[in-house]
Amino acid sequence: MAAISYDKPFIRITGLKKSFGEQKTLQGVDLDIYHGETLVLIGPSGEGKSVLLKHIIGLLNPDDGKVELEGTDLSHMKERELLKMRRRMGYLFQNAALFDSLTVAENVAFPLLEAGIRDRTEINKRVQEALELVELGEHKDKMPVNLSGGMRKRVGIARAIISKPDCVLYDEPTAGLDPIVTDVIDLMIQRLQKRFQVTSIVITHDMGSVFKIADRVAMLKNGVIYFIGTPGELKQSSDPEIQNFIAGRSGMCA
Amino acid sequence: MNFPFGILAISGRWFLDFLAYLGELGALSGQLVESIKLGAIRGRLMLQQIVTIGYGSQAVVIVTGAFTGAVFTAQSYFKFKDFGIESSVGGIVSVSLCRELGPVLAGLMVTGRVGASMAAEIGTMKVSEQIDALRVMGAHPVDYLVLPRFLAMVISMPLLISECIAFGLGASFLVGTGIFNIPYAWYWKHVVDHTGLEDVGFGMIKGFVFGILIVLISCHQGLIANNGAVGVGLGTTRAVVYSSLSLLVCNFFLTFFLNYFFPLGSAM
Ligand SMILES: Nc1ncnc2c1ncn2[C@@H]1O[C@H](COP(=O)(O)OP(=O)(O)OP(=O)(O)O)[C@@H](O)[C@H]1O
Ligand SMILES: [Mg+2]
Repeated sequence: MAAISYDKPFIRITGLKKSFGEQKTLQGVDLDIYHGETLVLIGPSGEGKSVLLKHIIGLLNPDDGKVELEGTDLSHMKERELLKMRRRMGYLFQNAALFDSLTVAENVAFPLLEAGIRDRTEINKRVQEALELVELGEHKDKMPVNLSGGMRKRVGIARAIISKPDCVLYDEPTAGLDPIVTDVIDLMIQRLQKRFQVTSIVITHDMGSVFKIADRVAMLKNGVIYFIGTPGELKQSSDPEIQNFIAGRSGMCA
Repeated sequence: MNFPFGILAISGRWFLDFLAYLGELGALSGQLVESIKLGAIRGRLMLQQIVTIGYGSQAVVIVTGAFTGAVFTAQSYFKFKDFGIESSVGGIVSVSLCRELGPVLAGLMVTGRVGASMAAEIGTMKVSEQIDALRVMGAHPVDYLVLPRFLAMVISMPLLISECIAFGLGASFLVGTGIFNIPYAWYWKHVVDHTGLEDVGFGMIKGFVFGILIVLISCHQGLIANNGAVGVGLGTTRAVVYSSLSLLVCNFFLTFFLNYFFPLGSAM
């Protein structure tokens, strides 16, 4: 595996708090993400994993605390400065959030056009490569509304990685995909890490993926990071809450 | 709460909400100006919008202008005939079309057609996270969505209004000379005598201002949409209602303001 440097954090989150009305979603999250690692974020549904990911890319503003990218604080930056920062990152939305007025190929080409690439043949080549990575090579002229849920998600993945960002944030990349395609996506995330030292933050509910791709696992629960460690440490944990979560035991009887 | 204070509190809240709303529109205008200064103009998007806004609204605006011109001519003729001045119908129709009816009616029709679709389209993008997707990929929503619509609108509106006026006048001419048998030459002479370039300019300037109002109000409603389909519906309704009302109110003040520079008659 490629070397991950644990000396200086790439992204540092300190004391992050966010409430929606009365509901306290994040209540002081501290988390460091290092260059070149794959960090998997797990946790119960509705606990704020997506909200945390949106803070990392500056889509949401924290009530308190900060998010630093290589030492620069994102939470007080103006939108136009953030736009430049964000070009270094890729983001997969939980619902894919494809532009429904553009075709699949145009959606995937969007980050390239935003980065100022105008050469048509280069764009077409890279779009084709990205779509083939997610096994959608033949569907590039379809409109997003005509795709299945899993296909939409994969177009979202292609769009998140096409500009070769330093860091990719995936919000449930394999939810709703069949086991084979899930494996394809997991392998793709690993390949990006090995070849291009891409830093990845992956939210998932699929424990198989967790143990396959994670360098470290963080569990978000009750608005804080409840556990952080390697997949091995997660498995060895003596905490019954964690063991029940991994094994999928609700404690109820039929 | 006892009676007079309740009323005060409600009207006070209403007033504060109104100020807050104006503030948001002001902020959006500020971002738009910033976006223009940065030269973030996307030609292709602007052309697409000119086609949907300008080219696509022609039929609506032409029909509105033509039938208004026709019916206005008929009503004026019936009354003017009592005074024996029916041949001067062309003058009043043409001045009213240029100064008021053309810009206001074309503005209202464009609000219904274009304002509604802007609010609905942008609102749908907002609630389905497509606006966030733009931001994530480094595109500012104002650069990408509002600026092209703004430019297309300020280019299209004056042209649409001239069409509205031209077809209104044409219909008026047909009705006046064809149905009421006003001699061509007299009809035309009154039109030319009473209408100057400043009357046409009056209409164009109004159209320009109305275009800005429609774009700002409608795009703003789209950008703040939340709460799914219901929210988009509400935003669309608001976009049309707010744009139409502000257009009518603004028209009143613009008339007085512009009349100072291009006076009609000797009243002011
Ligand atoms: N824009 C918002 N306005 C109000 N509440 C919100 C908003 N976004 C998220 N929330 C609330 O924050 C909480 C966390 O939501 P989030 O989407 O982060 O959950 P999650 O951990 O990603 O869950 P899942 O695994 O189901 O995707 C939820 O209770 C949600 O209702
Ligand atoms: Mg989520």
